[in-house]
Amino acid sequence: MKKYIAQRALRSLITVCLVFVAVFMLLRFMPLEGYFSDEMIKEADEATRMTYLRNLGLLDHPLKQLWRFVKNLFQGDLGRSLTVYPKVPISTLLAEKIPVTAAFGFVSMLLGIVFGLSLGLVMVRTKDRLGDHLGNGFILVIRAVPSILYLFVIQVYVSAAFDLPMLFYEDRPGSWILPTISLSLGSVAWYALWLRRFMVDELNQDYVKFAQVKGLSKSAVNRRHIFRNAIIPLVIYLPSDLLLIISGSLVIETLYSIPGTGGLLTTAIKNQDNNLVQVLVLMYAVASVVGVFLGDLLVAFVDPRIKLTQKEE
Amino acid sequence: MTEKPNMVLNPDKFRGAVFDQLASEDTGYSNYSYWRSTFRTFFKSKAVCLLVALVGAIILMSFLYPIFSDTDPTKISLMFLDWNQKPSAEHWFGTDQLGRDIWARAWYGARNSFLLGFCIALSDVGIGMIAGALWGYNRKLDPFMIELYNVMTNIPSTVYLVLLAYIMNTSYLTLFISMASRGWIVEARFFRNRILSIRDSEYNIASKCLGSSVWRIVTKNIIPQIISLIIMEAALCIPYSIGNEVFLGFVGVGMPVDAITLGNIVNLGRASFTQHPYQMLLPAAILCIITIAFYMIGNKFADASDPRNHV
Amino acid sequence: MKRLLALLLAAVMVLGLMAGCGQTPSGGETKPAESTPSNLEGKTDEEILDASQDILNGRELATTYQTYFSTSYASLNYFSTSYATVREIVSNCVDGLVEPDKYGIYAASLADSWDHNEDYTVWTFHIREGLKWIDHTGAETEYALTAQDFVDGIRYIGDPLNGAYSMRVVRNLISGLYDYYWGLDDIDCEIDTETNREDLVARFDEIVGVKALDEYTVEYRLDSSAPYFLSLIESSMLLLPIEYEYALALGDDFGVDNEHMLYCGAYYISEFNRDKNITLTKNPHYWDAEKVYLETVEYQMIADGTTSVEMFKRGELDYTSVESEEYLTLADSEWGSYLIPNEFSLSTNYLWLDFVGGNGEFRTFVQNENFRKALQTAVNRIVWAQLREPVDPARIVRNTINAEGAIFNSQGVDYTDLEPLAAIRNTDYSADPNAARAFMEAAIAELCDENGKIIGVEAGTVDYLPVISTEIDGALPVTLIYVGTDDESEIIMAQLFETMVEAAIGADYIDVVCAFDTSGSFYSTVGGSNDGPFNYDIYFDSLSTGYADPSGILTRIGTEEVENVGAYIVPEYDALIEKALNAETFDERLQYFAEAEAFLLEGAYMIPVMSSLRGYHMTYEVPYTAPYMLYGNVRYKGMQVLTEPLTLEEYQIQAAAWEIARAAALAAQE
Repeated sequence: MKKYIAQRALRSLITVCLVFVAVFMLLRFMPLEGYFSDEMIKEADEATRMTYLRNLGLLDHPLKQLWRFVKNLFQGDLGRSLTVYPKVPISTLLAEKIPVTAAFGFVSMLLGIVFGLSLGLVMVRTKDRLGDHLGNGFILVIRAVPSILYLFVIQVYVSAAFDLPMLFYEDRPGSWILPTISLSLGSVAWYALWLRRFMVDELNQDYVKFAQVKGLSKSAVNRRHIFRNAIIPLVIYLPSDLLLIISGSLVIETLYSIPGTGGLLTTAIKNQDNNLVQVLVLMYAVASVVGVFLGDLLVAFVDPRIKLTQKEE
Repeated sequence: MTEKPNMVLNPDKFRGAVFDQLASEDTGYSNYSYWRSTFRTFFKSKAVCLLVALVGAIILMSFLYPIFSDTDPTKISLMFLDWNQKPSAEHWFGTDQLGRDIWARAWYGARNSFLLGFCIALSDVGIGMIAGALWGYNRKLDPFMIELYNVMTNIPSTVYLVLLAYIMNTSYLTLFISMASRGWIVEARFFRNRILSIRDSEYNIASKCLGSSVWRIVTKNIIPQIISLIIMEAALCIPYSIGNEVFLGFVGVGMPVDAITLGNIVNLGRASFTQHPYQMLLPAAILCIITIAFYMIGNKFADASDPRNHV
Repeated sequence: MKRLLALLLAAVMVLGLMAGCGQTPSGGETKPAESTPSNLEGKTDEEILDASQDILNGRELATTYQTYFSTSYASLNYFSTSYATVREIVSNCVDGLVEPDKYGIYAASLADSWDHNEDYTVWTFHIREGLKWIDHTGAETEYALTAQDFVDGIRYIGDPLNGAYSMRVVRNLISGLYDYYWGLDDIDCEIDTETNREDLVARFDEIVGVKALDEYTVEYRLDSSAPYFLSLIESSMLLLPIEYEYALALGDDFGVDNEHMLYCGAYYISEFNRDKNITLTKNPHYWDAEKVYLETVEYQMIADGTTSVEMFKRGELDYTSVESEEYLTLADSEWGSYLIPNEFSLSTNYLWLDFVGGNGEFRTFVQNENFRKALQTAVNRIVWAQLREPVDPARIVRNTINAEGAIFNSQGVDYTDLEPLAAIRNTDYSADPNAARAFMEAAIAELCDENGKIIGVEAGTVDYLPVISTEIDGALPVTLIYVGTDDESEIIMAQLFETMVEAAIGADYIDVVCAFDTSGSFYSTVGGSNDGPFNYDIYFDSLSTGYADPSGILTRIGTEEVENVGAYIVPEYDALIEKALNAETFDERLQYFAEAEAFLLEGAYMIPVMSSLRGYHMTYEVPYTAPYMLYGNVRYKGMQVLTEPLTLEEYQIQAAAWEIARAAALAAQE
């Protein structure tokens, strides 16, 4: 077991390093003009621009830049943003943004799990009857209608109908409701869809027939046997989902003006804010690799049939 | 247990059968055909027939309309009065902010989006299946592929898409590369897992012991198991890529931002949504129907192509 | 069957959502312009002034003003920021030497008096005594506001490491600053390895012409005559003061957030949440505190354009802009009477032509004046302007580079009314629908052989990557590549441009290709690569008259000047600019500038089309109560805000009354 964990940790570390170095090097291939703001292109001459680049350390050899970044990283210094938030320390930025995004992400993930699993259960129980059809309809709408449309409709019309604020304000609890609900719709649909699917699959298994023959009530079979088996493939994603809530949602944060991390990475890449991209990529890579790792551990914990010490696959 | 003479069975009612060599060979045969059964099961449901008809109609319309209609979807009016017209006999779904006919734009958009979707589905599932098969069959490749998978899924695609847009010409090749760059490995991992489990399953081992050739194993034992997945994945890929196309335009590869695609129409129309909701009606409806229909057809076909459901 | 049911359900829900939004009737048809209010016609000045007073009498004034911004603000460092919102916020928090009063006449601010020498090259300001910088809690700090702080402002921007934004005008105007700045840069670039950086920094006071004559007197020595210097103080953030000791101690942290800067204006930033909201609170120690009516100004970030109108309707905002599409819908609703047209913009939108581009067909043709005139007349400005102003598009059409109503000579004559510029200002380029094609035919006669082959141009590929790559055949029609950003409104403008140019000139002669940059940094992809050619034939841009002198724009667009992106060569223009800069009197200077601008427009080297004014707004603010900032940013000092929205009628009465009062004030100043 310990050996397995050590091996996995080492491999995860290698993955993170590879991802980081790959992104770092890709960023150095970006064109130099990308570092200038539009105003700078219009206003500044060649010499001023070069001065600017040199001040940012962008003209040094990439390996030297890499070394500088890693060295600072180990000293706990994440550096300062280059172009998106000029000169603002990245640690300050993240400390401001992650809690907001994580709070929304966490609550909506809880909502997603609770309502998604309940919906899935209801759908299985009423399979091929009204509840199932309604649930399927909901899932289809969420999946089919472009999210940008229904999110917009929720913001404008639902907020008017229930007299809720159109934007998010930290000090007005009412303003938390709509963004959280909007954020959880997708995961409610996701959990309901897959729980129903896995449970329906399990329904045909021999052990279920056996349990029914044995005389167990339908709900007991559902609860004690089917649900427990069907939840296992979902459990594996929990740690990843939990860790990656820090990445936020671009559309919802824009609509409700939530000062979170959603879209931060895309903005940073498009503005070639190397430092910010590097820190974010590192953070997300660690989160996702650790998430997968924890997922595997968790499955082993939940599902007694799986032993980590056994050879994988 | 004690033996009890059976009062019902009368030995007179039985007579010995003549051994027939031909008939004994015959018993193992049924006129079962995989594909015929699949399609029979598939089309048994009326809802499926309706959906297939609907999707067929939409696809047909989106490809035929541009050929037979003489309405130019890019025709801009310089007359202010022609802009943002409400639906009328001349313009069934009104006109957009530059007086272009929305009915025509929606169908041109549907056609372009379909082409895009088919391409993505083909590349993702096609490449993914081949890579997944190799990955599944070759144990030595496994550590490398897993690492590749981990690295690739952890590098934000925006990074290399932006770079790609900078380096390369905006052509169909760029579009193809950028689309295929990420999706295939996800599909590959999916197929690899499936192939692994099928390869090592009991019936396959039994078949192997009975001396089936690799060809027979692949065509009769594995493909029927996989084909449903392939079709389902491909069917799900199409609506997904149509929805995703906007993102590609956003980072500068793929369709130009002024190209007529469903994604672009919906995305750009959102700003005037509160003013002119009818402008979004048709494109959004087509998009929804495509997504729902493909999703359901994919699922149904997956069910139908499972041999267990053929009985 | 269940799937069918689910499908139907989904469809019904979708339709329901759509129908829910369909209640508002949409106005596809034009509404007649309602520009002049009937109730003002035939009234005397006194009656109008009384009417204006009646509106305000007994009205309750709000103490909070809620407004918004749309793009995130990166840093509050007012010297280096390029964000308009930050400049707007900071100019309410850090005062300059002078500021306009509500009629636009310069009045005392941090300087209580000032004078200048005869040729406007030396300006002396006497600073108000006993003022202190305050911090983000509104408490006074130990730092006194002195003349030295203004000198240090220049010292701060003079160091290239501090990355001051839009340095050019100030750097070239204040004597010695140019040498000091580039001297430091040479040291940083290791071009100059002899000089010690500290030595040069220490010599700032002897090199640069800014001095603190005593604790409360600051003197600016300028390289050229600048009668417009006060308007430069109004518009430029670079002439603001800084507490150097404080900024130096903070280093890179200066201006990172509200806690890392000091304030001396009517407000200080009491709350700062990045990408979310900013609150300005009235400065209790402000020297002019009784003129500050608003206790707090609350900014919040609203990234999505359509949200602000909705929030205004719900009373959650005191101001919202209304774009033309929204206008048509609102005009038919109960909000129709609150729609107030935006009045004025100093910024002009124009078309840049690339004279050295990679597209051989266009490059050959653009050198030809007839072709340029064909383009100039092919652009139907009214049609284009309708995208922004559906009711009265003519009011935003602008044919000149510098805005009208911004620069006046000593007789009070508007710069754009000086001949030969006045003729251009009043030209209607679309008057003759056949003119564009006639010009084009003239150009073709000079540049093509009888088979429609463009002489000297081979077939080939135009490489404007990463924006577009396209094939040309070296024959008519001429391929013209119009490059824009991927902003929705710009895409529409480009598509309209394509249609109207091809309609006016004829698709057999010209083929407009629209391409859009999706990188998000338009100038770096299109015009900014350090050495390479530019990736466009035509693009749409804007320039803004920055202060009360045409030199702000005109000196930047001569041959080989920094803003001359299209790289046209105009020695005649350069000569006129030279004459203007060396002119004896200010009036003469303006005359030469007018001639130079007219020359450029006459030859259609650049094609101004309209002002950057956009649409309408709705507000709770009483107009013309704040300082009248023609060149600078909005001020909240003096602004009066009602507790209910202002109607268009009330606005018009206030505007008329202000015009009358302003005329009187200007007359009194004479």
